[in-house]
This record gives sequence, C-alpha cells and structure tokens, in this order.
Amino acid sequence: MTFRARLLLGFGAVVLVPLTVFGLRIRAEMANRLAAEYQRRVAALVAVIRADLDQRSGDIASRLAALREALARDNRFRGQVVQGGDRTYVLDYAGDAMRLSGLSLLQIQDDAGRIVSSGHFRNEYDRTDPALPRLLATAPAGTALLRARGAEGPLLALARVDSVRLGSRAFTLVGGIAVDSSFLAHLTPDPELKVAVVLPGDSSAAADPTTQVVDSLTVPFVAGGDSAELQPARIMVSHSLASLAALRRGVAFSFLVAVLATAAIALVLASWLSTRISRPLTALAAKTADVDMDRLDVAFESDRADEIGALSRLLGAMTERLRAGAARLREAERRLAMGDLARQVNHDVKNGLIPIRNVFRHFVQAAREGPEPLADAFRDRQATVESSITYLENLASNYARLYPHPAGEACDVNAVVRETIGRMGDTGRAEIRLELMEGLPPVRADVLALRRILENLIGNAIDSLVDRPGSVRVSTDRGAPGNGTPPVRVIVADTGRGMTQDELNRAFDDFYTTKPGGTGLGLSIVRRLVLDASGSLRVETQPGAGSTFIVELPGVKA
Amino acid sequence: MTLLSLHRRIAILGLLAAACRGGGPHVEVPPPTPAPGDTTCMLANGRTVARDTVSVAVSDPVAAAHAPLPRNEAERLVFGQLYESLIRLDCQGRPLPGLAKSWDQASGDRWAFTLRDNARFWDGAPVTARDVLASWRGRDPALAQSALIVDDHTLTVPGAGVPFQRFADQVLAVTKGAPGGGWPIGTGGYWMTHSNPASPDELVAQPIRPTPGRPALKIVMAAPTASRDALDAGADLLVTDDPATLEYARTLSGYADLPLEWGRAYVLLAPGRDKALAGDLRLETLREAVRQDARPAEWTGSGRYWFTDLSNCNLPAGRDTLGATGRRRRIAYDQSDRSAADVAARLVGLGVLGPGAVAAGVSGAAFASSLRAGGDAAYVLELPRRVYDACRAAVELPPWAAAGTVEPLLDVRAHAIVRRGLPRMALDWDGTLHIGPP
Repeated sequence: MTFRARLLLGFGAVVLVPLTVFGLRIRAEMANRLAAEYQRRVAALVAVIRADLDQRSGDIASRLAALREALARDNRFRGQVVQGGDRTYVLDYAGDAMRLSGLSLLQIQDDAGRIVSSGHFRNEYDRTDPALPRLLATAPAGTALLRARGAEGPLLALARVDSVRLGSRAFTLVGGIAVDSSFLAHLTPDPELKVAVVLPGDSSAAADPTTQVVDSLTVPFVAGGDSAELQPARIMVSHSLASLAALRRGVAFSFLVAVLATAAIALVLASWLSTRISRPLTALAAKTADVDMDRLDVAFESDRADEIGALSRLLGAMTERLRAGAARLREAERRLAMGDLARQVNHDVKNGLIPIRNVFRHFVQAAREGPEPLADAFRDRQATVESSITYLENLASNYARLYPHPAGEACDVNAVVRETIGRMGDTGRAEIRLELMEGLPPVRADVLALRRILENLIGNAIDSLVDRPGSVRVSTDRGAPGNGTPPVRVIVADTGRGMTQDELNRAFDDFYTTKPGGTGLGLSIVRRLVLDASGSLRVETQPGAGSTFIVELPGVKA
Repeated sequence: MTLLSLHRRIAILGLLAAACRGGGPHVEVPPPTPAPGDTTCMLANGRTVARDTVSVAVSDPVAAAHAPLPRNEAERLVFGQLYESLIRLDCQGRPLPGLAKSWDQASGDRWAFTLRDNARFWDGAPVTARDVLASWRGRDPALAQSALIVDDHTLTVPGAGVPFQRFADQVLAVTKGAPGGGWPIGTGGYWMTHSNPASPDELVAQPIRPTPGRPALKIVMAAPTASRDALDAGADLLVTDDPATLEYARTLSGYADLPLEWGRAYVLLAPGRDKALAGDLRLETLREAVRQDARPAEWTGSGRYWFTDLSNCNLPAGRDTLGATGRRRRIAYDQSDRSAADVAARLVGLGVLGPGAVAAGVSGAAFASSLRAGGDAAYVLELPRRVYDACRAAVELPPWAAAGTVEPLLDVRAHAIVRRGLPRMALDWDGTLHIGPP
C-alpha cells in the first residue's frame, strides 16, 4: 500500500468514523425525543376528545329535551299520529325539527318501534327498528356512535335517545350529530394529528405503529340493522411519523453531505500532504539511486528543518563517509599496488640483473684467465648483456608510464580523438570509424592523459583484431544530464574477440594481460586516469563479439 | 338538451301514442269535436269580473329566443297565448279549430285543412298555406315536403303515419321572423310587446284587437321561492306545484285553487332487467314520499302509458353489456328535481335494490350521460304522461330502454292559483291554459 493510500485511510478513520457515529447518535436521540413528544400530544388530545364528546352528548340531550317539549305541545303532530289521516306534516316534522335544532340525525319512533318521522332520511317512514332506542338507552352515559341509514348512504352519528308520551302512546326520539370528516377535523386543530373512527370489523383503519403514534378511546357503537347489542368502537388519534421520518431523512442527508464534503476535503488534503511529503522523499530516492562507488559526488544538501531535511543531511553525511572510505580504499589499493609493483620491480630488476651478474662473474673468471679468454667471454656474452639491458630499459619505460601527471584543463574531446587517431598512423587491417557528435561541451582533463586513455583503448581494440579483419568505432556523444552540464561520453567499440567474465573481472588489474608481450598495465592506467579526471569507465563485452569501453567525463561550461 | 327538458317540450306539443302504433294504410278518424257549450275543459272560478289586465306570475324565465317551442312551464303558458297550430286539443283530446277553421278527409288518404278566413299575422299580413309550409319547413321538413298547397287557404297532408292530433303540436305552430329579431310574429290572440327595460322581469302581451273578455297579460317572472310573494303582490294567475305556495293560497280568500291535469309521471327505469323492480310495492305509500300533488301512477281512459309499449316504434334493440353486477347499486336522479329525490329515497327506504343501495343525486349533464350509459342500477325521472307522438318521444329515451323496464310510479300535477272573478280559461290536452274567450 502506498504512503498516499495509507494517509487517506488514516484521514478516513480519524475524521469520517467519528462524524458518522456522531450523526447516527444525533438521529437516534432526535427520533426518541420527538416520538415521546408525539405520544404526549396524542394522549393529551385523547383526553380533550373525551371531554368534548361528553360536552356534545350533553348538547344533544338538551336539544332532544327541547324537541320533546315542543312535540308535546304540537297538536297537529298529536292529531296526525294519534288519530291518523294525512300524515304529510308528521313525515316532514323530523326534518324541520332536525334542522331547527342543529342536529344531523333525528328519528321519531312509536311504541312499536315503527319510524313515524325521520329527519335525516325522510322517506324511511314505516320501517321498524325497535332495537335502536333500546340499545341507546343502555349505552354508558346514554351516548353511542350510531350508523344510521340515509338515502344517499349510511350516516355515522353520535346519538342519544329521549322519549315523549302523546295520549296513550309513547314515542322515542333518537337524535344525534354527524361524526363525519368535518366533525373529526374539528376535534383537532393540529393538522399533524389525525382523528379517525374505527368501527368493529373495520380492519382497513388499523394504524401502523411504525408510521404513526397512536392512542384511542372506546365508544359504544350501534351498528343498526339486526344488531342486538352494543359493540365497542374506537376513536383513534394518531400522529404521523412522516414529519419525523422527513426530519431524519433531512438530517441523514445533511450528514451525508457533510461526510462527503469531509471526505473530499480529506482526499484533497491527504493528496496535498502526501505530495508534500513524498516529493522530497522521491527526490532523495533518486539521488540515492545515483550513488555509486564511482559516483559519490551526489549532493544531499537541504535547508529543511523537518525530518526530510534531517534524512537528507544524514544521507549527505553517509555519502561523505562513503567518499572518504572510497578514497581510503583507493589509497589502500594504490599502496597495495605499489607494494605489488615494488615486488614486481624487484623481481623484474633481479631478473634483468641476474644474467648481467652472471656475465660479470664470467668476465671476472675469464679475466683471471687472461685477456684472451676475457675477450672470448666478452664476445660470447655480449648479446646476453645487451639483451638484459634492453629488457631493463623497456622495463623502466613501462614503469615510467604507470603514474602520469594530469593537468586539469578544459579540452575538446573530439579534437583530442582526432589528434590521437592521426598520430596512430597505419593500423593494418583494422578499420577505424569515427562518429563524433558536434557541439559537445568541453571536459576538464589533462590532454595528455586523455590522449593516453584513447591510445590504450584504441590500441587494445586494434590488438583484439589480431587474427581477423574487423573495425574499431570511436564515437562521442552527450551523456544523461544531471543537475549541471551534461557529461561527455567517449565510446571505443571493436568487433574483436571480446572477453570472458573472468577476463573482464581481472581486466583492470595491474600486470594482467592476455596479449603476448603485453605489460598488463594499459587498462589499469586507463582506469586510474579516468578516475583522476572524475570520470567513469564501463565495459560491455561478449566473447567472440567484441568489447565496448565507455568513458564518461564530466562536462564543464564552455 | 336534456331528456327531461325535451320531454317537457314534447309534452307541450304532443299527443297520442295510438296513432304511432297504428301506422296503417288508412287515415284514422279524428276524435269527436266537443259540442258547443261543453265546459268540460273550462276552468271556472265563479262570477267573472271584467278587467283590462291580468297579471300572470311565472316561476321560470321566458325567452323570446325559444319561441314558439317552450322549454319550461312558463314558456308553455306564454307561448300558448301567442302562437297557433292548425288545431288545438281540449283536455279530453278532442280537436278544436286553431289556425284552421275546418278539416276533412281528402282523396288519396290525405287530410285537408282550411285556414280561417281572417287569419292574419300580428303585423296584419294574411296567413296563407305557403306561410304554414314555410313554418313547418324548419321544424319538420319531412311533413312540409309531403304537404300540398291547394289554394291560399287550403293545404293537404298525408294521413298515413301521422297522428291527426299531431297538428296541434306547437312544433307545427305558424310563425314568421320579425324584422330585427325579437319575438317571432305569430297568429294567436295576443302579441308580445317589447320588454320594459325598467322591469326586465316583466312582459306585456296585448290582444291583437280589442275583444270583450280578453284583457292584456302582464307576465311577471318570479323565482320559485318567491311564489307566495307574487300572490301577495297581486298576481291574478299562478301555476305552481309548490306545496307551500298551494297551502298559502288556500288561506287566501280571494284565490281559487284549480288542479290541472295529471300532466307528468315519475318513472323508474332499470337497465338490464325483465322484471319490474317496484312491482310489489304499494304505490300508495310511495305517494307520501313526494311533497307535491301526486297519486299512484294510474292510466285512465283507453290505452296505457306511452312509454310502456314501444314495440311498434321499431326502436333499436338495446344490448346490455354491463349485467346486473356491473352496475352501481344506486338509484340515480337529477339533483335539481326534488320530487325525483324523494321518490328515489323512498325506494331506497323500502329496500327496492336491497340493503346497502343508495340514492344518488347527479347534476343535469352528468345525469343525462349516466342515463344514456345505463351504469346505475336504476333511474328515477319525470316523463310527460301525454305526448303527441310516442315514437318521436321514445327516441329520446336511453338506448337500453328496450332491454330494461320502465315502471310508472307516480302521477303529478300542478295547480292554477286563480284570482276569483278572472275570465274563464280553457285547458288544453297538453295542460296549456288559454286565457280569454276561445
């Protein structure tokens, strides 16, 4: 997992989780408190409705009492119901009385239960319904809900019963007020509170407690028809939880928006922060990747005061220590090489002197024998002496080339390459091809040392073509740019015999050679001269396919 | 136009279903003409007192644009004074001279009508046979095309297929257009003067010529709820079926309550049934359901209610696609008809459709639409008891009527509240009152 992803997850855990928990907790607390408040309001309204029903029942009773008194005084009504004849007045009586008294239901029955006048349903006269007044009379508090017949449909009413005696006959008055939608709406001024009547067997009006807060009161109910007893009906008060649900949805939406906004901000912040942190780390990683035993000049300077700056400085110190160690290592190698060289010189000089000493011993012995033997010995051993001297001279010449004296100055690599090739004269069967890039920056190096580098590399390349025709390509180009001027590369590639891995491993050792008559110092010198010029040397070789020596020298501004 | 209003219009115009059912090749002999001095159809209220103007109170609006075809009871009363057909029918259905002074059977199974010699339009122009055909041409083109002009005062019409009584129909009244519009020019005993802008609810009809016993008519339009106020204001004549007004008028010593003919009937239409819904009911108990003057449906005289036998009218056979279970269990009625509401409520109270059925008042246009569709279990509506041509009237019944039942329930009638001493009035077969001498 990347550092950036970890940082993002960290932000999520730290910011989003507490925010979500907070939101859920707020929602739950709010729901609980509002539901409790709704419950209190519903219970209060139930109590109010109970008192209101009692009051309305009293109103109905007083209106029926007034009608009873008026009916007792009405001779026309008395005459028609007692003595018979045209009963138009009787049939219309209940309707007129009902409207005058403000009732919604009025029915007058005779002692046989026959309807003699009906206000809410004028033309149901002569129907018998004796159970109705009887059931109403047995209702607690004398009031019950009644489902009465109407011409245009049933009528639900809150009803009472009263009675009056006309002559020898008793008449009952059933009166009531309509329990319709306006009645129910009048019971509560709060539109969020709903009042409904649930009659026995009315399953469609069952309240869903998950969407409503419900309470109810029971009222006796007369179903009408053949019903023989009172049944319980309920006036149900409910408070919809829709507003609570809407509020919860609103809160959830707000929290969701907050979470999304926070997540977006966290993402941007984490991205910015991780970029701020990872960019210097990436730069440090790139610099660290450049560090090599041959490339310890990478700068890790930083003026940052944070951990990145400390890390950078630590890496710089480490590189400095590596640079010192490399110098010490080179010194140790040099000393080791000097020791080897001294031993080699000692050995080589001894090898050159031993024949001379033997010749001199021979001369001393011959001189003891006389001039003639000395002259004979001189003639015999002259070639030996000369050969030894030649050997020593060559030896001296080779040793003299082990340590150049570089003089650092800006020089044109292409010019040095051309001059070196020109000095080499005839190269036999070897074809030398030049591919020089123009516009290269100058390099800071000793011209003589650069020439010796080229002489050795080109000479080795030609020598590698000893037993077959081939070519040597000498090219220059621009190396990968660093912080400053790009380095200049000199490439000497041949199509010669190439090197095995073992040969390659020892190629730069002093006095290691695969050529007859070679000193084994050429590549050792080249390597040292390149390092002295602050450059690098790289070899790519394959047995039978040739070798490529790549010298990279730091460029300087022209 | 609603069915109800159309039937009222037809009631003003119509006569005799028997003639429709006949349709034979030979013309029928017209009913006997009443003998001179027959007062069977005269409304008498005591000794006549001469007066120049008679104030007539009507409870419906009267519009010149409707003339001469009335659309309500008020227009029937007013137009009956202004316009004439060839003949009139008295309350017994006997023909009386109208615009035609005589009629006879002509050759080729035709009737020949002779216009009275002094027949003139209000503007003084003589009325000719061409004027008669010109009037018919716009209202019954087929009849106009079949009529033949013999001379200026004589025309013949085919007798087969046309009930003789139909020539009393106000549809065939003779009129001509008035220059500049307004009231069409008729041939009756009265002509309508222009309305008084100061009293837009008042019209004045003047006699064509001064005639003893023919006073001017002042027609006052009063709302139905103000009928008693009209009596208090001195109206001489009021035709009403409002029980409160009738009860009030009976308390006024200066007025006589003269019941008119049983002119309309309330019927129960039930689509998709072959058995009468109210067949087992005692119609007497139904009578008490309505507040107007009513009696159990009873057809007196020959024949029966025109709407109970339309088999000879070649009506399209209705097809019942709903069935009994596909209809609303309710008895529908026009909510503007109070008596229809009472009848429907009583039928519900008696359980005609069984428990749970209701009565439903529907607005006029919706009621007409529902009646045509037959989507309710039953309908209560008012129909004229008498029509001039039953088959023409039957066209206005719902298309399913032939596949359902039509049951007469109640006959109802209006009353004329007449100031005592007013000239005698003649009552026509369709209930139209004629004021003044014939």
